[in-house]
Amino acid sequence: MKGLLLKDFYMMKKYCRAYLLVAVVLIVTSLFAEENLFMTFYPCVLCGMIPVNLLAYDERSHWMAFSGTLPYTKAQIVSGKYLIGLLTQLALLLAIGLVHGIHMAMDDSFALQDYAVLMLLMLCVSTIASSVTLPFTFKLGVEKGRIAYYVTMGLVMAAIATVSVIFKYQLQNMIRVELPLVVVALICVCLYALSWYLSIVFYQKREI
Amino acid sequence: MNALEIKNLTKSYPGFTLDNLNLTLPNGCILGLIGENGAGKSTTIKLILDMIHKDSGTVTIFGRDNTDNIHLTKEDIGVVLDEVGIPECMTVEQVGKVMRYTFRNWDEGEFVRLVKKLSLPEKKPFKDFSRGMKMKLGIAIALSHHSKLLILDEATSGLDPVVRDEVVEMFSDFTRDENHSILISSHIVSDLEKLCDYVAFLHKGKLLLCEEKDRLLAEYGLIHCTSQQLQTLPQGAVLRQKTNPYGVDAMVFRSAVPSEMAVSPISIEELFVFMVKEAK
Repeated sequence: MKGLLLKDFYMMKKYCRAYLLVAVVLIVTSLFAEENLFMTFYPCVLCGMIPVNLLAYDERSHWMAFSGTLPYTKAQIVSGKYLIGLLTQLALLLAIGLVHGIHMAMDDSFALQDYAVLMLLMLCVSTIASSVTLPFTFKLGVEKGRIAYYVTMGLVMAAIATVSVIFKYQLQNMIRVELPLVVVALICVCLYALSWYLSIVFYQKREI
Repeated sequence: MNALEIKNLTKSYPGFTLDNLNLTLPNGCILGLIGENGAGKSTTIKLILDMIHKDSGTVTIFGRDNTDNIHLTKEDIGVVLDEVGIPECMTVEQVGKVMRYTFRNWDEGEFVRLVKKLSLPEKKPFKDFSRGMKMKLGIAIALSHHSKLLILDEATSGLDPVVRDEVVEMFSDFTRDENHSILISSHIVSDLEKLCDYVAFLHKGKLLLCEEKDRLLAEYGLIHCTSQQLQTLPQGAVLRQKTNPYGVDAMVFRSAVPSEMAVSPISIEELFVFMVKEAK
């Protein structure tokens, strides 16, 4: 498994530099555009695309077939992608959390509850992206999986943008009041676990 | 013990069936799987490695069923596929590090030695490698984890003659250890003729023949004669024949041909072409 993660790390280092740059720009910009949640959440969406993009490169280089000759189970091959996704998502959450936390503290506007809401929302957005895309990709291949991803994320982003425009900065408050966000976040985590399991089942049936 | 045993292996796709394949690769031997493109060589290899699901039959590697924890068995198998499958951005150095965490028996020293021997550039990304260099890296990986069985799918195709000779030499060295075996598929029969102890002919998913190479060469021969001369041969002496404007070329049983008739040695390639054309 370590070998799979190391290989994906090398690939990320080469192919995902642009993602890092865009994420940094968006995180910094989000500090000055607090009413626009897109800036805060889009890096999470980008982050969710990383495992699928790595799979696309794997498919192009015939790694998928080669990995079938190596001493890994199909479950390990799938888990490698979920773990790399999880690690990048955690790193991003940490970075955004740190930047926004410091910004709020410097602004004297730090409120633990607001901060927790922000982090939980980001956790939801970043896990949903991978949860939806990866099972499609492991079952159908990269191209069809990518279409499923763009459709789903287009819908999610449109929903966020609409809610953000209608309720302005009240989104967090609304969710806090009307929806138990912790439950939503837990559902997202469960969805991630379910997606992980489904991907293993799909990939075990797939002929490579 | 046999390194590999395939019994009644069947796999169907729309328009193609690998039909009831039976093969045995004894320890310490090299078995060449010969067939034209689309004959079922790669399907057989993928079935052996459980990369695709069989419809029926059994595959046993080192005495263990290939569906029984094959990832553990793969520790002892070195595989080179037609498309080597290394990510394009990775360098030889990085590949070595990844493989160190992949195979329990990874031998870094051996890998470095092979990389030097094969003159592979350590810092160049894989996408900039020539076809020959890509194959050489695949072979270096397959030989660097003390594998007991090499499975090579068209590993010599597309290589220039010098590199091919070098690679064939490495495979011969590998089987000097009597516990090492090789299954090699190719449609370039001349490579396999040099290398193999056993040859198996696959044609449209069917096994035409699986036999010891030396026995085949000793048993069969080629005669060139007229149709009239051919008629004088005892019944059963001629296996296949091909008529051309200059007479008849026939594949014969050497032992059944009268001693006064000149029988030329037959090459594996000629044998294969005769059998495939007959099967058509």
